[in-house]
Amino acid sequence: MIRVRGLRKLYPGGTIGLDGVDFEVGAGEIVALIGPSGAGKSTLLRCLNGLVAPTEGEVIVGGATVSGAAPRELRRIRASIGFVFQQFNLLRRLSVLENVLVGRLAHMPVARSLLALFPAADVARAQATLERVGLGELGDRRVDTLSGGQQQRVAIARALVQGPTLLLADEPMASLDPALAHTVLTLLRRISEEDGLTVMTSLHVLELARLYGRRVLGLRAGRLVYDGPPDGLTDAVAERIFAGRAA
Amino acid sequence: MTRAGRRVGWLAIAALFVWSAWATEVSLERGIEGIPFVLEFLRRMVPPDPSVLGHALRGAAQTLQIAVVGTAIAALLALPLGFLAARNVSPPWLFYVARSLLNVFRAVDTLVYALIFVAAVGLGPFPGVLAVVAYTATVLAKLYSEAVEAIDPGPVEAVAAAGATRLQLLRWGVLPQLMPQFLSFTLYRFETNIRAAAILGFVGAGGIGFYIQTYLRLLNYPAASTVLLVLIALVMVVDFASSRLRARLV
Repeated sequence: MIRVRGLRKLYPGGTIGLDGVDFEVGAGEIVALIGPSGAGKSTLLRCLNGLVAPTEGEVIVGGATVSGAAPRELRRIRASIGFVFQQFNLLRRLSVLENVLVGRLAHMPVARSLLALFPAADVARAQATLERVGLGELGDRRVDTLSGGQQQRVAIARALVQGPTLLLADEPMASLDPALAHTVLTLLRRISEEDGLTVMTSLHVLELARLYGRRVLGLRAGRLVYDGPPDGLTDAVAERIFAGRAA
Repeated sequence: MTRAGRRVGWLAIAALFVWSAWATEVSLERGIEGIPFVLEFLRRMVPPDPSVLGHALRGAAQTLQIAVVGTAIAALLALPLGFLAARNVSPPWLFYVARSLLNVFRAVDTLVYALIFVAAVGLGPFPGVLAVVAYTATVLAKLYSEAVEAIDPGPVEAVAAAGATRLQLLRWGVLPQLMPQFLSFTLYRFETNIRAAAILGFVGAGGIGFYIQTYLRLLNYPAASTVLLVLIALVMVVDFASSRLRARLV
């Protein structure tokens, strides 16, 4: 599903985002990405759907080359990849349903989407997806009237309604309290199992990675320093990833 | 800023004030001497002359119309200009060109534009509309551009991540964030333009100002007071309606 080769990202000003990353992820895997802040987790996830263009290296997702893809090809690839953000990144003044419909933009005629004339099939699909994340009743509500946990589920619905083969999540619970974090992660895992969806999520809490990941990638200073099962995340390994910081 | 620096600053402001007050012949004595004349002026305005109510209402309607058409056209023009003058959207060279042009045109007020347009297209409400457009378009473009610069890039990134095209990005990532602010700014300018359009008649550019000026020149104070009362009512109604609308946009 994902193949990454020699991935490097150098930001203007010389900051190193990624410093030679190689890995592969098979279809249906649930992968947790861990590492201290600034290790390159967000950069790595954004290289996978082309939101960040790598300086060097190759990214292949579902057989399509993301790195160096032309705009039209990149949009086609992105349409098949859901992305969930730490800050939800919803349009706060729009309704829940409209936010979910944003996930269908790549699948509908551009002219209709500009006039907000969403095809009935897309609306039905958005509504069904909302029911799936437990927000079926809230379609008409403005997003800024929802709680943080509800907003993140709207964001997950927006990603799922794309009909993706890969779901990327960038610290999806970092803005939520611990109880909600478990709800959101359980939801992600259930959906992955039901749809055979490949999920890659970065997590800032080691405990969550131990609980929810089937496989853990440890990133430190732009390099992959751990790739294995959660059981292998001994204190010594955590020490190596987080370099003396409290995990 | 240092203590000494602050002190120099306050001294400079005080000096500027004294210099200006002296040059403008500000005098408490002359102000007090003028009070009886103001009272006499007000006394002659009462009671208002209801026979000119028709003229006053016609003038008020035209002032409203000038403000409506002028503000609407200005808002349409300001939309592309606002994006061109936004640092985070426009290429740097274009940004500087757009910002500089806006600053130049904004330096001239509506009434001065009206003088120019009356000379260009003749008397009547049309030069008034052009004057409102010229000033309002640049003011709105500046306000719009600041709103564009303050946009949250997160939702835009999310819409891009869903595979949207550039146009879809503008429609669904950018516009929903800007629309309430754009409407609010536009309504606010509309309120201000009612006042601006009320004096356009002084220079022959249409509206209620024509009657105010005419009756004052003819020393027909009761008629002038009717027109002024109509103007006050118009301004109050528009301010009330517009601020109610703006409150709902936030």
